[in-house]
Amino acid sequence: MRTRGGVLGANIIAGLALGYIVCNIGFGDYAELNRMFTFQDLRMLFAFAGAVAIIVVVFAVLGVRRTPGRIHAGVVPGAVLFGTGWAISGGCPAIPIIQVASGYLPALITIAGVGVGMLLCGWANARYFHLDRGSCGL
Amino acid sequence: MNNYWPWWAGAIGLALVTINYTLTTDRSLGVSSAWDRVLHWRSERRLEVLDAQFADDRALVDAFAAATAEQFGTGPGALTLPDAERGDAQAAGQDVGPAAAESAPVASLRPAPLVTQAALLLSILFGGWIAAVAAGRFQLRLDMGNGYRQLVTANPTTMIVVLFVGGVLVGFGTRLAGGCSSGHGLSGCGRLRPVSILATAVFFGTAVVVSFLLWKVI
Repeated sequence: MRTRGGVLGANIIAGLALGYIVCNIGFGDYAELNRMFTFQDLRMLFAFAGAVAIIVVVFAVLGVRRTPGRIHAGVVPGAVLFGTGWAISGGCPAIPIIQVASGYLPALITIAGVGVGMLLCGWANARYFHLDRGSCGL
Repeated sequence: MNNYWPWWAGAIGLALVTINYTLTTDRSLGVSSAWDRVLHWRSERRLEVLDAQFADDRALVDAFAAATAEQFGTGPGALTLPDAERGDAQAAGQDVGPAAAESAPVASLRPAPLVTQAALLLSILFGGWIAAVAAGRFQLRLDMGNGYRQLVTANPTTMIVVLFVGGVLVGFGTRLAGGCSSGHGLSGCGRLRPVSILATAVFFGTAVVVSFLLWKVI
């Protein structure tokens, strides 16, 4: 499905489903998230790891291509910053949206921070890093 | 204490979303990329206009070729530019390295249109709202819940600063690392991409360390 309308429909369906599922798993709940990261409650960890395991098996069976992906100098420092930000704000890029949808209005500040961080990264990369960062495949 | 889904239901749900999206669009699901493109909507829009212009020019060349062929009695295919010269093989932002070229069916794709990325983000908001309302968890509030108050801060001003700094770190980090928990974590690890497995291990490991610090030390 490569038409504009097709991709738009797929994005709407994926967004609705992702929002519904992530909210029902509990990723928008900071207390649940901290319990996952401190291994006090493995439910959400198993949900994430189980999803990855299912995807690996299904992609292997269906022969979905393994994209190469280059490990560049930004991967590890970027992931360290992301992990720190996720732990203190409770938000990866999708989760603050879920938090706002659940009524946690301060998550709007997290969203503003995400936007500023992305713009900063673009500016810093163009000026200082000059990394060919690529993308996760979108 | 809560009525969240059991782990297996969450795993099946997340897997179905990722697999369905990949199979129907030939693309990977990535929320940080969607954010990035929506934030840079001006330059993205300019690129899309240029792309449309390019497609129009291509159609014009094809029309001229067909008309010329008709005039001089040659088959229209003879004067049509080959695909490679017309730029059909361009796939901006996609993995077009040797490994990708080996698997032709999904190798040449343009990035998803900008409007679809905005629709993804808005749909996540709507889907999350439906879930929260249906489960009876929706409640407008000016704090981040008891867990955040106990583990991070109870001071509203400090909370605003920490959330903003955390958001900046998430935004900066995901763009520097080239993906987030959906792009690297689900789609990338699902495809066994080494870069995604490394990124996921590092961001998850870092979050574990920082969360232990918040829980036990700070």
